[in-house]
Amino acid sequence: MKITVRRSGGLAALTQIWTVEAVTIDDKRRWMPIVEACPWDNADARSAANQPDRFMYAIRAGQRRATLPEKAVTGPWQVLVENAKTEGQESRRR
Amino acid sequence: MICSIVPPYMLRKLAAQDEPRLRAVARAAKESLLHIRSLQAARALAAPATPPGIRQAKPGPPKRTIYDAGTSEKLPGKLVRNEGEAATGDAGADEAYEGLGSTHRLYAEVFGRNSIDGAGLPLDATVHFGRLYDNAFWDGRQMVFGDGDGQIFQRFTKSLTVIGHELAHGVTQHTAGLVYRNQAGALNESMSDVFGVLAEQFLKQQSAEQASWLIGESLFTEQVQGAALRSLKAPGTAYDDDVLGKDPQPDSMDGYVRTSADNGGVHINSGIPNRAFYLVASALGGRAWEAPGRSGTGHLQVAPCRPPARSAASPRRRRPPPRSFSAPDPQSMTPS
Repeated sequence: MKITVRRSGGLAALTQIWTVEAVTIDDKRRWMPIVEACPWDNADARSAANQPDRFMYAIRAGQRRATLPEKAVTGPWQVLVENAKTEGQESRRR
Repeated sequence: MICSIVPPYMLRKLAAQDEPRLRAVARAAKESLLHIRSLQAARALAAPATPPGIRQAKPGPPKRTIYDAGTSEKLPGKLVRNEGEAATGDAGADEAYEGLGSTHRLYAEVFGRNSIDGAGLPLDATVHFGRLYDNAFWDGRQMVFGDGDGQIFQRFTKSLTVIGHELAHGVTQHTAGLVYRNQAGALNESMSDVFGVLAEQFLKQQSAEQASWLIGESLFTEQVQGAALRSLKAPGTAYDDDVLGKDPQPDSMDGYVRTSADNGGVHINSGIPNRAFYLVASALGGRAWEAPGRSGTGHLQVAPCRPPARSAASPRRRRPPPRSFSAPDPQSMTPS
Protein backbone atom coordinates (compact mmCIF):
# COMPACT_ATOMS: atom_id res chain seq x y z
CA MET A 1 0.00 0.00 0.00
CA LYS A 2 1.31 3.41 -0.97
CA ILE A 3 0.51 6.34 1.31
CA THR A 4 1.08 9.89 0.09
CA VAL A 5 0.62 13.13 2.00
CA ARG A 6 0.90 16.24 -0.14
CA ARG A 7 0.95 19.57 1.67
CA SER A 8 0.35 22.62 -0.52
CA GLY A 9 -0.45 26.25 0.08
CA GLY A 10 0.79 28.21 3.04
CA LEU A 11 2.05 31.76 2.73
CA ALA A 12 5.01 30.53 0.67
CA ALA A 13 2.96 28.08 -1.43
CA LEU A 14 5.69 25.45 -1.39
CA THR A 15 4.44 21.91 -1.95
CA GLN A 16 5.93 19.13 0.15
CA ILE A 17 5.19 15.44 -0.34
CA TRP A 18 5.78 12.55 2.05
CA THR A 19 5.50 9.04 0.62
CA VAL A 20 5.34 5.75 2.51
CA GLU A 21 5.49 2.36 0.82
CA ALA A 22 3.97 -0.18 3.19
CA VAL A 23 5.17 -3.31 1.47
CA THR A 24 6.01 -5.91 4.10
CA ILE A 25 3.42 -7.67 6.20
CA ASP A 26 4.72 -5.90 9.27
CA ASP A 27 4.42 -2.52 7.52
CA LYS A 28 0.85 -3.22 6.46
CA ARG A 29 -0.04 -4.52 9.91
CA ARG A 30 1.19 -1.28 11.42
CA TRP A 31 -0.21 1.16 8.83
CA MET A 32 -3.61 -0.40 8.16
CA PRO A 33 -5.12 0.55 11.57
CA ILE A 34 -3.80 4.10 11.15
CA VAL A 35 -5.38 4.35 7.69
CA GLU A 36 -8.61 2.60 8.70
CA ALA A 37 -9.08 4.94 11.66
CA CYS A 38 -9.52 7.96 9.35
CA PRO A 39 -13.06 9.01 8.35
CA TRP A 40 -12.42 8.90 4.59
CA ASP A 41 -16.09 9.05 3.63
CA ASN A 42 -16.63 12.28 5.54
CA ALA A 43 -13.56 14.10 4.25
CA ASP A 44 -14.57 16.86 1.89
CA ALA A 45 -12.48 19.99 1.67
CA ARG A 46 -15.28 21.89 -0.05
CA SER A 47 -17.38 21.72 3.09
CA ALA A 48 -14.57 23.11 5.22
CA ALA A 49 -13.31 26.40 3.82
CA ASN A 50 -9.66 26.97 4.44
CA GLN A 51 -8.29 29.89 6.39
CA PRO A 52 -6.09 32.30 4.45
CA ASP A 53 -2.52 31.11 4.10
CA ARG A 54 -3.06 27.83 5.89
CA PHE A 55 -1.83 24.57 4.40
CA MET A 56 -3.98 22.20 2.37
CA TYR A 57 -3.44 18.44 2.66
CA ALA A 58 -4.16 15.94 -0.12
CA ILE A 59 -3.90 12.44 1.35
CA ARG A 60 -3.92 9.12 -0.48
CA ALA A 61 -3.74 5.61 0.93
CA GLY A 62 -4.20 2.90 -1.65
CA GLN A 63 -7.44 3.75 -3.49
CA ARG A 64 -8.65 6.17 -0.85
CA ARG A 65 -8.30 9.90 -1.21
CA ALA A 66 -9.09 12.91 0.92
CA THR A 67 -8.37 16.62 0.73
CA LEU A 68 -8.37 18.50 4.00
CA PRO A 69 -7.64 22.02 5.16
CA GLU A 70 -4.96 22.18 7.84
CA LYS A 71 -7.43 22.94 10.61
CA ALA A 72 -9.25 19.67 9.83
CA VAL A 73 -6.10 17.58 10.26
CA THR A 74 -6.91 16.46 13.77
CA GLY A 75 -7.46 13.15 15.55
CA PRO A 76 -6.78 10.12 13.30
CA TRP A 77 -5.89 12.37 10.36
CA GLN A 78 -3.21 14.03 12.45
CA VAL A 79 -1.84 10.62 13.46
CA LEU A 80 -1.68 9.56 9.81
CA VAL A 81 -0.06 12.80 8.64
CA GLU A 82 2.49 12.96 11.47
CA ASN A 83 3.49 9.33 10.93
CA ALA A 84 3.88 9.92 7.20
CA LYS A 85 6.00 13.00 7.86
CA THR A 86 8.20 11.09 10.27
CA GLU A 87 8.65 7.92 8.28
CA GLY A 88 7.90 8.88 4.70
CA GLN A 89 10.32 9.88 1.98
CA GLU A 90 10.18 13.64 1.62
CA SER A 91 10.20 15.53 -1.65
CA ARG A 92 9.22 18.93 -2.95
CA ARG A 93 7.34 19.71 -6.08
CA ARG A 94 6.28 22.94 -7.73
CA MET B 1 -20.64 46.78 -9.13
CA ILE B 2 -17.03 46.64 -10.23
CA CYS B 3 -14.45 44.31 -8.76
CA SER B 4 -11.45 44.90 -11.02
CA ILE B 5 -8.28 45.85 -9.21
CA VAL B 6 -7.70 48.79 -11.57
CA PRO B 7 -10.66 51.18 -11.43
CA PRO B 8 -12.33 52.30 -14.66
CA TYR B 9 -11.44 55.97 -14.20
CA MET B 10 -7.79 55.00 -14.12
CA LEU B 11 -8.24 52.76 -17.14
CA ARG B 12 -10.02 55.59 -19.00
CA LYS B 13 -7.10 57.88 -18.27
CA LEU B 14 -4.63 55.29 -19.50
CA ALA B 15 -6.78 54.49 -22.55
CA ALA B 16 -6.78 58.16 -23.54
CA GLN B 17 -2.98 58.29 -23.79
CA ASP B 18 -1.98 58.97 -27.39
CA GLU B 19 1.77 59.25 -27.02
CA PRO B 20 3.59 56.57 -29.03
CA ARG B 21 5.48 55.32 -25.99
CA LEU B 22 2.20 54.64 -24.17
CA ARG B 23 0.39 52.89 -27.01
CA ALA B 24 0.69 49.47 -25.42
CA VAL B 25 -0.69 50.80 -22.14
CA ALA B 26 -3.58 52.54 -23.88
CA ARG B 27 -4.46 49.43 -25.88
CA ALA B 28 -4.43 47.23 -22.78
CA ALA B 29 -6.56 49.75 -20.90
CA LYS B 30 -9.12 49.85 -23.73
CA GLU B 31 -9.35 46.06 -23.74
CA SER B 32 -9.80 46.06 -19.99
CA LEU B 33 -12.57 48.67 -20.19
CA LEU B 34 -14.40 46.52 -22.74
CA HIS B 35 -14.02 43.53 -20.44
CA ILE B 36 -15.31 45.51 -17.47
CA ARG B 37 -18.41 46.55 -19.44
CA SER B 38 -19.16 42.90 -20.17
CA LEU B 39 -18.66 42.06 -16.50
CA GLN B 40 -20.93 44.89 -15.47
CA ALA B 41 -23.66 43.54 -17.72
CA ALA B 42 -23.24 40.10 -16.20
CA ARG B 43 -23.37 41.51 -12.72
CA ALA B 44 -26.49 43.58 -13.19
CA LEU B 45 -27.93 42.25 -9.97
CA ALA B 46 -28.88 44.36 -7.01
CA ALA B 47 -25.81 44.99 -4.87
CA PRO B 48 -26.08 44.20 -1.17
CA ALA B 49 -26.01 47.20 1.12
CA THR B 50 -22.55 48.24 2.24
CA PRO B 51 -22.10 46.96 5.79
CA PRO B 52 -22.09 49.64 8.46
CA GLY B 53 -18.83 50.63 10.04
CA ILE B 54 -16.67 50.19 6.96
CA ARG B 55 -15.65 53.84 6.87
CA GLN B 56 -14.68 55.60 10.04
CA ALA B 57 -14.15 59.34 10.16
CA LYS B 58 -11.69 59.11 13.01
CA PRO B 59 -9.68 55.93 13.28
CA GLY B 60 -8.66 55.18 16.85
CA PRO B 61 -5.26 54.06 18.08
CA PRO B 62 -4.31 50.39 17.70
CA LYS B 63 -5.21 47.89 20.39
CA ARG B 64 -2.47 45.32 20.04
CA THR B 65 -2.08 42.14 22.05
CA ILE B 66 0.74 39.72 21.40
CA TYR B 67 0.62 36.12 22.59
CA ASP B 68 3.30 33.42 22.69
CA ALA B 69 2.25 29.89 21.75
CA GLY B 70 5.57 28.49 23.05
CA THR B 71 5.87 26.15 20.03
CA SER B 72 2.46 24.64 20.74
CA GLU B 73 -0.42 24.92 18.26
CA LYS B 74 -2.89 26.20 20.82
CA LEU B 75 -4.28 29.69 20.28
CA PRO B 76 -3.97 32.34 21.43
CA GLY B 77 -1.21 31.27 23.88
CA LYS B 78 0.33 33.20 26.77
CA LEU B 79 -0.13 36.98 26.74
CA VAL B 80 3.29 38.64 26.49
CA ARG B 81 2.64 42.24 25.43
CA ASN B 82 -0.34 44.53 25.64
CA GLU B 83 -0.84 47.87 23.93
CA GLY B 84 1.52 50.51 25.30
CA GLU B 85 3.72 48.10 27.23
CA ALA B 86 7.50 48.04 26.90
CA ALA B 87 9.29 45.73 24.50
CA THR B 88 9.54 42.15 25.71
CA GLY B 89 13.02 41.47 24.41
CA ASP B 90 11.65 38.59 22.36
CA ALA B 91 12.36 39.44 18.72
CA GLY B 92 9.28 37.70 17.33
CA ALA B 93 6.88 39.26 19.80
CA ASP B 94 8.31 42.76 19.37
CA GLU B 95 8.43 42.51 15.57
CA ALA B 96 4.77 41.48 15.56
CA TYR B 97 3.85 44.38 17.85
CA GLU B 98 5.72 46.95 15.76
CA GLY B 99 4.54 45.46 12.47
CA LEU B 100 0.91 45.57 13.51
CA GLY B 101 1.39 49.18 14.57
CA SER B 102 2.94 50.14 11.23
CA THR B 103 0.16 48.45 9.29
CA HIS B 104 -2.53 50.04 11.47
CA ARG B 105 -0.96 53.45 10.76
CA LEU B 106 -1.17 52.86 7.00
CA TYR B 107 -4.88 52.08 7.19
CA ALA B 108 -5.63 54.88 9.65
CA GLU B 109 -3.54 57.72 8.23
CA VAL B 110 -3.80 56.98 4.52
CA PHE B 111 -7.16 55.25 4.13
CA GLY B 112 -9.01 56.59 7.17
CA ARG B 113 -9.84 53.05 8.21
CA ASN B 114 -10.24 52.12 11.86
CA SER B 115 -8.45 48.76 12.11
CA ILE B 116 -9.34 45.50 10.38
CA ASP B 117 -13.11 45.78 10.57
CA GLY B 118 -13.37 49.56 10.32
CA ALA B 119 -14.68 49.61 13.87
CA GLY B 120 -11.48 49.40 15.91
CA LEU B 121 -11.11 45.63 16.09
CA PRO B 122 -8.24 44.72 18.47
CA LEU B 123 -5.17 43.41 16.69
CA ASP B 124 -4.26 40.05 18.19
CA ALA B 125 -1.26 38.05 17.10
CA THR B 126 0.38 34.84 18.28
CA VAL B 127 4.07 34.21 17.73
CA HIS B 128 6.17 31.05 18.15
CA PHE B 129 3.27 28.96 16.83
CA GLY B 130 4.10 25.29 16.35
CA ARG B 131 7.41 23.53 16.20
CA LEU B 132 9.61 24.62 13.28
CA TYR B 133 6.39 25.90 11.73
CA ASP B 134 7.02 27.22 8.20
CA ASN B 135 4.07 29.52 7.88
CA ALA B 136 2.01 32.50 8.98
CA PHE B 137 -1.76 32.80 8.62
CA TRP B 138 -4.97 34.63 9.49
CA ASP B 139 -7.44 32.34 11.27
CA GLY B 140 -10.44 34.61 10.90
CA ARG B 141 -9.85 36.36 14.23
CA GLN B 142 -6.13 36.86 14.65
CA MET B 143 -2.73 36.62 13.02
CA VAL B 144 -0.46 33.65 13.68
CA PHE B 145 3.28 33.44 13.01
CA GLY B 146 5.62 30.45 13.00
CA ASP B 147 9.34 30.52 13.69
CA GLY B 148 10.37 28.75 10.50
CA ASP B 149 12.54 25.64 10.32
CA GLY B 150 15.87 27.50 10.40
CA GLN B 151 17.01 25.73 7.23
CA ILE B 152 14.82 27.39 4.63
CA PHE B 153 12.73 29.86 6.59
CA GLN B 154 13.49 32.19 9.44
CA ARG B 155 10.76 33.52 11.71
CA PHE B 156 7.83 34.95 9.78
CA THR B 157 7.66 38.19 11.77
CA LYS B 158 10.97 39.31 10.23
CA SER B 159 9.21 40.89 7.27
CA LEU B 160 6.71 43.71 7.69
CA THR B 161 5.23 42.72 4.33
CA VAL B 162 4.16 39.39 5.84
CA ILE B 163 2.54 41.07 8.84
CA GLY B 164 0.79 43.52 6.52
CA HIS B 165 -0.25 40.62 4.30
CA GLU B 166 -1.89 38.72 7.17
CA LEU B 167 -3.67 41.78 8.52
CA ALA B 168 -5.01 42.52 5.05
CA HIS B 169 -6.68 39.11 4.99
CA GLY B 170 -8.72 40.35 7.92
CA VAL B 171 -9.64 43.52 6.03
CA THR B 172 -10.73 41.48 3.01
CA GLN B 173 -12.78 39.22 5.27
CA HIS B 174 -14.61 42.24 6.67
CA THR B 175 -15.10 43.96 3.30
CA ALA B 176 -15.11 42.25 -0.10
CA GLY B 177 -15.27 38.77 1.42
CA LEU B 178 -13.44 37.25 -1.52
CA VAL B 179 -13.82 33.48 -1.46
CA TYR B 180 -10.49 31.79 -0.78
CA ARG B 181 -10.40 29.60 -3.88
CA ASN B 182 -9.45 29.84 -7.55
CA GLN B 183 -9.57 33.32 -9.14
CA ALA B 184 -11.41 34.96 -6.25
CA GLY B 185 -8.81 33.47 -3.92
CA ALA B 186 -5.98 34.76 -6.09
CA LEU B 187 -7.50 38.25 -5.85
CA ASN B 188 -7.79 37.80 -2.08
CA GLU B 189 -4.10 36.88 -1.96
CA SER B 190 -3.15 39.74 -4.25
CA MET B 191 -4.94 42.25 -2.04
CA SER B 192 -2.89 40.98 0.88
CA ASP B 193 0.35 41.19 -1.10
CA VAL B 194 -0.47 44.72 -2.26
CA PHE B 195 -1.25 46.02 1.23
CA GLY B 196 1.73 44.08 2.57
CA VAL B 197 4.14 45.97 0.31
CA LEU B 198 2.28 49.25 0.89
CA ALA B 199 2.75 48.87 4.66
CA GLU B 200 6.49 48.60 4.11
CA GLN B 201 6.66 51.41 1.55
CA PHE B 202 4.64 53.69 3.84
CA LEU B 203 6.91 52.97 6.81
CA LYS B 204 10.05 53.62 4.74
CA GLN B 205 8.39 56.47 2.82
CA GLN B 206 9.54 54.89 -0.43
CA SER B 207 8.32 55.83 -3.86
CA ALA B 208 7.18 53.18 -6.33
CA GLU B 209 10.57 53.48 -8.00
CA GLN B 210 12.52 53.04 -4.77
CA ALA B 211 10.55 50.10 -3.41
CA SER B 212 11.60 46.47 -3.75
CA TRP B 213 8.03 45.23 -4.36
CA LEU B 214 9.02 41.98 -2.64
CA ILE B 215 6.90 39.94 -0.24
CA GLY B 216 8.81 38.20 2.51
CA GLU B 217 12.24 39.67 1.93
CA SER B 218 14.64 38.34 4.63
CA LEU B 219 12.47 35.30 5.38
CA PHE B 220 14.76 32.87 3.59
CA THR B 221 17.95 31.70 5.28
CA GLU B 222 21.29 32.26 3.56
CA GLN B 223 21.14 28.70 2.25
CA VAL B 224 18.32 29.57 -0.14
CA GLN B 225 18.93 31.07 -3.56
CA GLY B 226 16.23 33.69 -3.51
CA ALA B 227 15.37 37.23 -2.55
CA ALA B 228 11.86 36.68 -1.23
CA LEU B 229 8.64 34.66 -1.51
CA ARG B 230 7.12 36.77 -4.28
CA SER B 231 7.79 39.80 -6.41
CA LEU B 232 4.98 42.11 -7.49
CA LYS B 233 7.33 43.82 -9.90
CA ALA B 234 8.47 40.63 -11.61
CA PRO B 235 6.33 37.62 -10.64
CA GLY B 236 8.18 34.36 -11.20
CA THR B 237 11.61 35.74 -10.31
CA ALA B 238 11.62 35.87 -6.51
CA TYR B 239 13.68 32.71 -6.12
CA ASP B 240 15.30 29.93 -8.09
CA ASP B 241 16.69 27.32 -5.76
CA ASP B 242 17.91 23.73 -6.06
CA VAL B 243 15.59 22.58 -3.27
CA LEU B 244 12.61 24.88 -3.66
CA GLY B 245 12.60 25.06 -7.43
CA LYS B 246 11.71 28.23 -9.27
CA ASP B 247 9.13 30.82 -8.28
CA PRO B 248 6.01 29.60 -10.18
CA GLN B 249 4.03 32.85 -10.32
CA PRO B 250 2.71 33.96 -13.73
CA ASP B 251 2.63 37.67 -14.56
CA SER B 252 -0.27 37.56 -17.02
CA MET B 253 -3.37 35.51 -17.83
CA ASP B 254 -1.37 33.76 -20.53
CA GLY B 255 0.39 31.91 -17.74
CA TYR B 256 -2.68 31.27 -15.56
CA VAL B 257 -2.16 28.04 -13.63
CA ARG B 258 -5.03 25.60 -13.19
CA THR B 259 -4.38 23.39 -10.19
CA SER B 260 -6.20 21.71 -7.37
CA ALA B 261 -3.34 22.43 -4.96
CA ASP B 262 -3.11 25.60 -2.88
CA ASN B 263 -6.88 26.17 -2.91
CA GLY B 264 -6.77 26.42 -6.68
CA GLY B 265 -3.42 28.17 -6.94
CA VAL B 266 -4.32 31.25 -4.93
CA HIS B 267 -0.67 32.02 -4.09
CA ILE B 268 0.39 31.31 -7.67
CA ASN B 269 -2.10 33.23 -9.81
CA SER B 270 -2.00 36.21 -7.46
CA GLY B 271 1.07 37.14 -9.50
CA ILE B 272 -1.26 38.35 -12.26
CA PRO B 273 -3.13 41.09 -10.33
CA ASN B 274 0.06 41.78 -8.36
CA ARG B 275 1.86 42.66 -11.57
CA ALA B 276 -1.12 44.75 -12.71
CA PHE B 277 -0.97 46.79 -9.51
CA TYR B 278 2.75 47.30 -9.88
CA LEU B 279 2.34 48.46 -13.49
CA VAL B 280 -0.31 51.00 -12.50
CA ALA B 281 1.76 52.24 -9.55
CA SER B 282 4.93 52.54 -11.60
CA ALA B 283 3.08 54.26 -14.47
CA LEU B 284 1.61 56.82 -12.10
CA GLY B 285 4.88 57.17 -10.22
CA GLY B 286 5.34 58.63 -6.76
CA ARG B 287 3.89 56.97 -3.68
CA ALA B 288 1.97 53.81 -4.39
CA TRP B 289 -0.19 54.10 -1.26
CA GLU B 290 -1.73 57.26 -2.63
CA ALA B 291 -3.85 56.90 -5.82
CA PRO B 292 -3.28 53.17 -6.55
CA GLY B 293 -3.53 52.10 -2.91
CA ARG B 294 -6.68 54.14 -2.31
CA SER B 295 -8.31 52.58 -5.34
CA GLY B 296 -7.52 49.18 -3.84
CA THR B 297 -9.25 49.94 -0.57
CA GLY B 298 -12.16 51.41 -2.50
CA HIS B 299 -12.71 48.10 -4.25
CA LEU B 300 -12.41 46.12 -1.05
CA GLN B 301 -15.15 48.28 0.41
CA VAL B 302 -17.57 47.28 -2.33
CA ALA B 303 -18.93 44.34 -0.41
CA PRO B 304 -19.41 41.58 -1.03
CA CYS B 305 -17.74 41.14 -4.40
CA ARG B 306 -19.15 38.40 -6.60
CA PRO B 307 -16.16 36.37 -7.78
CA PRO B 308 -15.91 36.11 -11.55
CA ALA B 309 -14.77 32.51 -11.34
CA ARG B 310 -16.46 29.41 -9.99
CA SER B 311 -16.02 29.30 -6.25
CA ALA B 312 -17.53 27.88 -3.12
CA ALA B 313 -20.03 30.73 -3.23
CA SER B 314 -21.09 30.41 -6.83
CA PRO B 315 -22.69 27.50 -8.67
CA ARG B 316 -20.59 25.14 -10.74
CA ARG B 317 -20.83 25.99 -14.43
CA ARG B 318 -18.76 25.93 -17.55
CA ARG B 319 -16.89 29.12 -18.30
CA PRO B 320 -14.96 30.30 -21.33
CA PRO B 321 -11.17 30.07 -21.16
CA PRO B 322 -9.43 33.02 -19.52
CA ARG B 323 -8.95 36.10 -21.64
CA SER B 324 -5.51 36.52 -23.01
CA PHE B 325 -3.92 39.64 -21.64
CA SER B 326 -0.28 40.47 -22.04
CA ALA B 327 0.92 43.06 -19.61
CA PRO B 328 2.67 45.94 -21.32
CA ASP B 329 6.39 46.25 -20.99
CA PRO B 330 7.08 48.48 -17.98
CA GLN B 331 10.05 49.94 -19.81
CA SER B 332 7.61 51.59 -22.16
CA MET B 333 5.61 53.08 -19.28
CA THR B 334 6.54 56.38 -17.80
CA PRO B 335 4.57 58.65 -15.52
CA SER B 336 2.25 60.89 -17.48
